[in-house]
Amino acid sequence: MKYMLIMHVESAATAEAAAGIEFDDMLEMMGRYNDAMTEAGVFVTAEGLAPGEEGAVLDFAQNPPLVTDGPFAEGHELFNGYWILDTATREEAVQWAAKAPLGPGVKLELRRIHSLSEFDEQLATTDNEYVKTHVLNQKGN
Amino acid sequence: MPKYMLIMRQTDAAIEAQRTADFEQIINAMGAYNTALVNAGVLLDGDGLAPEPGHVVTFGGEFPVVTDGPYGETHELFNGFWTIRVGSAEEAVEWASKAPLGVGQSLEVRRITDETDFADFADNDYIANEPELRERAAGN
Repeated sequence: MKYMLIMHVESAATAEAAAGIEFDDMLEMMGRYNDAMTEAGVFVTAEGLAPGEEGAVLDFAQNPPLVTDGPFAEGHELFNGYWILDTATREEAVQWAAKAPLGPGVKLELRRIHSLSEFDEQLATTDNEYVKTHVLNQKGN
Repeated sequence: MPKYMLIMRQTDAAIEAQRTADFEQIINAMGAYNTALVNAGVLLDGDGLAPEPGHVVTFGGEFPVVTDGPYGETHELFNGFWTIRVGSAEEAVEWASKAPLGVGQSLEVRRITDETDFADFADNDYIANEPELRERAAGN
């Protein structure tokens, strides 16, 4: 099963905590964590996101959607990065999440990623070409 | 070329509306959009997140505290994402605008950090070995 660990950061608290940690040390801790997950064979992918201030939000309540520059939510609890893990159980994913080198003001949200098998019922009754392409793609990966 | 993440969020009302929607119609709209992204050579990755609330791990104490989800007070939950590689933020927003989404749904567009964001730490072992780590992860 694949799980996504979503990093949420309260800017102020994180900035304070980061002031006490050398960036080089932070890289070292993150590197060790990623290495451990890779060695355990559970690491699928991970990315960090640039600050929300340089991003944009599109609201689909209208067509075409309304584009607003800036972060999704003002000021706090920003979404700053993620890991995707492939583990046998939810507990294993939670255990890996708890080992992340994070501190005050940071939370990890753990969410299961949909797998195609959840849609077996719909897949069995559809002739949909996109579904068939998607199924073939996933089987090829 | 920079990479961007399109982060999907929707309100409770939008989730409720989807329950009564024609599932095949949603598949068709999403399928056409994903195919367009692949044909344009910009799609790198994408996944949907299961609706169950999940868990939240909070750091800062002696040990991380694990609680059953959902995350936060807001009902605008994070439900899925696309990762695309395009030439500019404008191009990323242009692709985001084409997503087959509706009322109560929004996309946040964020640039994914790359080696240029860590240029001052290029000689750090972990930064230097990141391509190798990604290669090993691809084997998982």
